Amino acid sequence: MARPKIVSLAEAIGQIKDGDMLTFGGFTVWRRPMAAIYELIRQKKRNLHLVEVNGGTHDDMLVGAGCVGIWESSWCGHELYGKFGSNLARKIENSEILYEDWAHIHALNRLTAGSKGLPFLPTYSAMGSDILNPENDNLGKAGLRDGSNPHIGKHKYVTYKEPFTDSEIILIPAANPEWCITHVQMVGAEGTVRVDGLKFSDQEAIKASKKNIIIAEQVVPEEYLRREPTRNMLPGYLVDYIVELPWGAHPTGLYGVHEPDGNFISEFFKATRTQEGFDKWADEWIFGVKDFQEYLSKLGITRLESLKANPSLGYSSTMKRGSR
Amino acid sequence: MDSKKGYSKPGEFKPSDLLACAAAREVQDGEIVFAGTGLPMLAIMVAQHTQAPTAVCIYESGSIDGRPIDLPTSVADARCSYQAAVADGLTDVFGQLQSGKVDLAYLGGAEVDLYGNVNCTFMGGPTGKRLTGSGGNTDIHSLARRSVLIMPQVGQKRRFVERVSYITSPGWKIPHWPDKEWVPKKDVYGPAFHGGPAAVISDMGVYRFDENGEMYLDTYHPGFTAEDCRENCSFDLNISRCKGETLTPTYEELELLYKVIDPEGIIMK
Repeated sequence: MARPKIVSLAEAIGQIKDGDMLTFGGFTVWRRPMAAIYELIRQKKRNLHLVEVNGGTHDDMLVGAGCVGIWESSWCGHELYGKFGSNLARKIENSEILYEDWAHIHALNRLTAGSKGLPFLPTYSAMGSDILNPENDNLGKAGLRDGSNPHIGKHKYVTYKEPFTDSEIILIPAANPEWCITHVQMVGAEGTVRVDGLKFSDQEAIKASKKNIIIAEQVVPEEYLRREPTRNMLPGYLVDYIVELPWGAHPTGLYGVHEPDGNFISEFFKATRTQEGFDKWADEWIFGVKDFQEYLSKLGITRLESLKANPSLGYSSTMKRGSR
Repeated sequence: MDSKKGYSKPGEFKPSDLLACAAAREVQDGEIVFAGTGLPMLAIMVAQHTQAPTAVCIYESGSIDGRPIDLPTSVADARCSYQAAVADGLTDVFGQLQSGKVDLAYLGGAEVDLYGNVNCTFMGGPTGKRLTGSGGNTDIHSLARRSVLIMPQVGQKRRFVERVSYITSPGWKIPHWPDKEWVPKKDVYGPAFHGGPAAVISDMGVYRFDENGEMYLDTYHPGFTAEDCRENCSFDLNISRCKGETLTPTYEELELLYKVIDPEGIIMK
């Protein structure tokens, strides 16, 4: 297999087509590929089908910008920086988006099954919940479980009496997104990926996806990563495109590198309580800048410096966080 | 001030202090505990500093037995991983949860009902107001041996209901799909039945669940009566088993909360 191509962000995101199924590395407001989110919005992608273990600021932003046709996940919010994803909430309340709710384990099973070439993976999680209420099979109700879309199974899930101990269990269908976009601390020139800190569900998401874009703080010589292979997460043949983009996870956090920009996310949450508010926010922070470099300039060195982690701890030891 | 182990008097603590300390008392030494952001984090840390020094905390993002020296503000915060035994990912910790290794979990929610079913997806059902959705709430509620809910109640009667308007997370009695028949949780979960909701701790009282999986008042907090607690529920709360007043935070617990665990004033403002 060919080695990954080192490309510009615009070039990598340019490969993604309207209607593609996407997933992302990271967890809630941590290690999200935000520069790629801004670029997806700038390139006006439409009808994307998101499948994620959990969402966060990034997917609420894509939803607000009208890029998403179908949202499938377990959660959307901003952690302590905003009560819920208000773009997604508004669009769900106004029936302006198709969505499917899952439990964490369900969504994880979808990607894990996908990563192992299996059609489904069982779980006991969330039995008896309205997540599994047949009346809440929204894609089914929209008539989309007719086999015409390869990403939408014939059933949301199947209740199965397993033949070993005769217990009732839930079979969750696999997901194989067209793309996974992941922000990491380091990638080798040949694509070996190293993640510092929690891996979340990155390996499942990446291995389930047909193509992968890795955005890294730094591209480093392969030799450097291969001195300690036990610290590496992925071999290069799983990576299609590499983009080198320091701070590309801002405003989400990056272990050992920088904190989440809580003020930025809070301001985003407050602005997005209405569609007009989101549009105005996007005009300023996405369409009002030419590219990610201009976005960083607009943020300014002082703001970015204030987020930097103390490498001995993995987080900032100087940031003012509370009332004392 | 009385001795450190002494109980504080009304006026010497805030409602949120009592909430955190009452929650902390649910932990037994040696237990494996799943905790979420906010008060649950404070509760497990208070417990580890007092009656449960060998309790282990797992955060759902994948860190296990971290020894944070600064309070994390989310479960994926780099602070959670400080001095952790393992910092891996979701497949690891949710697998452990499903296999029954988690003794106790702390959760929040927007609505709770008589059977301990929890809603954090839609207030008023799927045509109502959209919230965050489950995240790990339903997984943890489904599969932990005991779960403890931390909920606001003062002036929030609509949060304590006979039936939640959307079951995000299953309690003691749940519908069996697709026939919709309401059955005990253990009939549905079979070999994966490990337990269920053990307590609901609000800013008014501590609630537990009886042999039929129905909520009752265990203790009311200082400043309230059993009748106040019942009036602040939308269903006819059983107060016949009430043991009296909730123990107030000890001076030691208050000092831990404000000086040791959250000296920056992030949650304990």
